[in-house]
Amino acid sequence: MKQTAYRPHFILMITGKVVRMGLLFFFFQAVFLKVNHIGQWTYDHVLLLFATFQVVDYLMSITFQRNLSSSLPSRIRTGELDSRMVLPAHLLFFVSFEEIDMMDFFSFLPSLGFLAYVCYRMDFAFSLTQMILYTMLLVNALLFLYAILLIIATTSFWITQSSGLAVIFDNLMKIGRYPLDIFEGFWKIFFLYFLPLVLIAQMPSQALLKALSLESVLLSFVATGVFMVFALRFWRWGLTHYLSAST
Amino acid sequence: MKAIHTKNLSKSYWFYEKEAGLSGSFKSLFRGKKVSVDAVQGINLDIEIGEIVGFIGPNGAGKTTTLKMCAGILHPSGGEVKVVGFIPHRREKGFLKHITFVTGQRNRLFWDLPAEEYFEFCKIIYEIPAAEYRRNLKELIELAGIGDILRVPQRKLSAGERKRCELVAALLHDPKVIFLDEPTNALDLISAGKIREFIREKGKAGNHTIILTSHNMADIEQVCERVVIINKGKIVCDEGIRELSRHNRFKKQIRIVFEGPWALSQVEGLGDIVRVDAQEVLLEVDRERAASVASRIFSHHPVKDIGIMDQPLEKIIESFFRNGEAVG
Repeated sequence: MKQTAYRPHFILMITGKVVRMGLLFFFFQAVFLKVNHIGQWTYDHVLLLFATFQVVDYLMSITFQRNLSSSLPSRIRTGELDSRMVLPAHLLFFVSFEEIDMMDFFSFLPSLGFLAYVCYRMDFAFSLTQMILYTMLLVNALLFLYAILLIIATTSFWITQSSGLAVIFDNLMKIGRYPLDIFEGFWKIFFLYFLPLVLIAQMPSQALLKALSLESVLLSFVATGVFMVFALRFWRWGLTHYLSAST
Repeated sequence: MKAIHTKNLSKSYWFYEKEAGLSGSFKSLFRGKKVSVDAVQGINLDIEIGEIVGFIGPNGAGKTTTLKMCAGILHPSGGEVKVVGFIPHRREKGFLKHITFVTGQRNRLFWDLPAEEYFEFCKIIYEIPAAEYRRNLKELIELAGIGDILRVPQRKLSAGERKRCELVAALLHDPKVIFLDEPTNALDLISAGKIREFIREKGKAGNHTIILTSHNMADIEQVCERVVIINKGKIVCDEGIRELSRHNRFKKQIRIVFEGPWALSQVEGLGDIVRVDAQEVLLEVDRERAASVASRIFSHHPVKDIGIMDQPLEKIIESFFRNGEAVG
């Protein structure tokens, strides 16, 4: 609601976000003028990956991204968390979804349109099972990102200023919109097993491209579960170390 | 059941010290000096339901830290604390519905939105039944005198108006325990007076326990029945506000207004001269000598007016801050 209070700012921010998405689309077009495939990924596959990434990215930024990566660390540092802690609401839920980003909600609609356009290019050749799996993996991607951002935000209880970590992750996360095939050796293993960015867009996209085994689907859910359990425990432990700020 | 019970309540923390300037910044970046602080050291406190208690002390005494432990914001490092039967840092929903915490330094209302919007938010989050919400809101709006500013964005209000809106929001759910941390901080005299009046009115009913910290002695004198003085993390005095000012260790003040010409030598040696102003002089004397000194002045000198009173609370409290000792 706060963001809609200033109309010119609201409109300009939405325009900027749509332009940014358009530029990335042109980037992929330019790349595929020179090559036909990136690994196993065709132009349409890469567009699906990009559109899926955009959907996950926007869903995250509409809901919890700004709250966890910027607002919560700032509230921990300044002591503003105090006023949230005395409310009879689930604290983590409250601080994670305190501000729903209306700007990104309106920017999200063109992303959905873009995903529909990509599906149209691919003749909507997807089964119901594939679509259900796609949706489940999208939710899984959001939960994975939530866990990572929560871990980063929780470090603020000790290091006070965690925005540096949030910026690092924000940049790393963008790797998720490219096929993992562009990496070799260490980085491929790193992004597959240690910081599984493949969970963000590649796994859901592969669900639609019929390129997923049952093992890899289960492994995706287990990996997210592990990150989530760790994040929640870390958060609870962090709360016991909250020092507020002097008045 | 006590409203608040603490036993050996303690809180320690640490931070890295930073030297001033650019070189200091670089130095502390690589070799910061770790400093540990015992903010609260074994506080024992029992507050009954319906009491209005002033919690006072110099900056850094540990009063806000104690309040925050009682409100469930901070985890104690040691000891125990119970508020209306709950352990605060567990932050159970039932507990949080029974308390409220207002600080004069920060504003919890939505900056860009009117207070009415935040009141609606409170109604939902505290699950206040509609009829009770309407009744409480009406009563509090009248008490706070904010009827004409309900739809004005918070950023357009004065600090005093914002604070009154915040108090209304904080009390909508009719909490049993009200923690007020310097509620009149940075307010002008009129606004501070209105806030005091508001708190006093709420306290009159006797079913709210109010714990108030303040550096403004008028807040304490006009609102509280009991005063807890804390210094360096320890309680140094816990008394009824009237008993405190009548305590034997504190002097009496004698205010004399002379009739016609007078000389300072007339009062020298009778007590400590606090202030001299034209025809008026203010003396401080031991309590047991106050009556005889006043009588002697009255009988030996032309006096227009004379009065005996307790030392102001501010001065009494100052003595605790200086000495850091318990009242005996």
